Amino acid sequence: MHIPDGYLDLSIAALFFILSIAVIGYSIFKLKNEKLTSLFGILSAAIFAAQMLNWPIPGGTSAHYVGGSLAGILLGPYAGSLAMAIVLTIQTLVFNDGGITAWGANVWNMAVVNVFIGYYTYRALQKIDRVLASFIAGWIGITVAAIFAGMQIGLSTSFAYGLSITVPVMGIWHAILGVIEGVITAGVIGYIATRRMDFLEKKETGKKSSALVFIMIVLSPVFAYLAEEVGYSEPMENAAKILELEEMRIFEGIFPDYTFPGFDPYIGALISGSIGVLVVLAISLAIRYAYSSRKNP
Amino acid sequence: MHILLEKTLKNASNYFQNFLIQEYQNPCIFHRIDARIKFISVIIFVILAVSTFELRKLFFLLFSILGISKIFGLSIKKLLLRIWIFTAFSFIIVLPLIFSNSLYPFIFTLRVFISLLAVQMLIMSTNFFELCIAMRSLKVPEIFVQALWLSYRYIIVLFQDIINVLLARESRRVARSSHYEIWKKGGESIGLFFLRNIEKSERLQLAMLSRGEKIVSGDSDFGTLEISYIAIVAFITLWWIML
Repeated sequence: MHIPDGYLDLSIAALFFILSIAVIGYSIFKLKNEKLTSLFGILSAAIFAAQMLNWPIPGGTSAHYVGGSLAGILLGPYAGSLAMAIVLTIQTLVFNDGGITAWGANVWNMAVVNVFIGYYTYRALQKIDRVLASFIAGWIGITVAAIFAGMQIGLSTSFAYGLSITVPVMGIWHAILGVIEGVITAGVIGYIATRRMDFLEKKETGKKSSALVFIMIVLSPVFAYLAEEVGYSEPMENAAKILELEEMRIFEGIFPDYTFPGFDPYIGALISGSIGVLVVLAISLAIRYAYSSRKNP
Repeated sequence: MHILLEKTLKNASNYFQNFLIQEYQNPCIFHRIDARIKFISVIIFVILAVSTFELRKLFFLLFSILGISKIFGLSIKKLLLRIWIFTAFSFIIVLPLIFSNSLYPFIFTLRVFISLLAVQMLIMSTNFFELCIAMRSLKVPEIFVQALWLSYRYIIVLFQDIINVLLARESRRVARSSHYEIWKKGGESIGLFFLRNIEKSERLQLAMLSRGEKIVSGDSDFGTLEISYIAIVAFITLWWIML
């Protein structure tokens, strides 16, 4: 399920970078007062080992054990998503499995969608039967994550197969292979429940933050579609073009449309962007200096 | 089936164990460049590769990366050996599209190939500890860097344990059991292995804490080598933009 570099459009890759950083950043914030346990390390290592056996899927990417639901159930959704993000980062930086530009999309599918959906499915069903709940959590987590991967590559124009091919290929294959994921998840949880029940104690999560992550998960394909639709142009500019509106400029600006007089547009954008960053940085430092000198006169 | 699975697991564990330990045995000039610079330059190369379908830009980038590898002493043969499977896999996926656009499968595969090449340059020349320090220096959150380093350590321990367990199983197997029994016992031993590892890692963690666990890093200034490399990357990027 790891998407390599070159499969996604930069607009979609950037969108999922932002979404993933938002969720992982929030997870880190929630864990800031907690010490990382050895369970965290060993579970990440175990998931890494289980993910190393890949098999290709024609028309899509590849299939393997993911372990997002297992991580969510054992560590809770926040530490679970961080553990999965860690595994994916090591795979990208040490084994070149999954692209650097596709890191955000991979983290979104396997560390956010898989972990959160798996965890809440388990929580909802555990009162009926713990093993059955883990099986369904494992199966549904990987299947939904695969559908998201299918959407991301299907919406990217760089990858010439459309949504009608990528989503069914990824979704159907993973729904079948997800049974193995479900069996492994149920087996491990069932065994741990008989020996170390303390690992399965209720992990507290805030209702508001969970609802927010779910809204982000549900809306992310819409954002991906819109990111592809607008490409690199501003939505406002597109709307103005459709409405046949013309711009009336009062002030041209120092670097109009991020250009630099006398330079190629690309170099102009680079120079004007760099100057902009420096100006923002200088203002931020000045505000910080002013604030700290007022606090410590 | 289970014998095949066991053999696969054993060979894969052996491979990864060797991969992690023997990764950096032939240091060259490229190894000496600061990990922060290498990390950022690889991100730049990958972004340049995936943001175009123009053949001249892609070929320019490909030859530039191969040129850098050669000049800085990385083995091009080893680089290619490590990425050909992923590249071939990508080519097979898009091959059916050759009938609608004869060039697309080649350009798509070239983009993937260049990206893999750039990342592999970093992987072959930088050990994971250096990467963690570089990330910390680049202001990646502390807990993320700590978690990366913690997980990486346990991956090495886990692979060593898997090999030991598989060898122990092999040496004790005297009678042929039924498939059902093997799968049942196999499941139990996976659970047991998992719990044993958690308990072992708890002891390891306590031992490390008692000795003062900390990632020690010292940000060093950039030398002539780093400045030269930055200049080369900047030159390639600007040329790519102007092409």
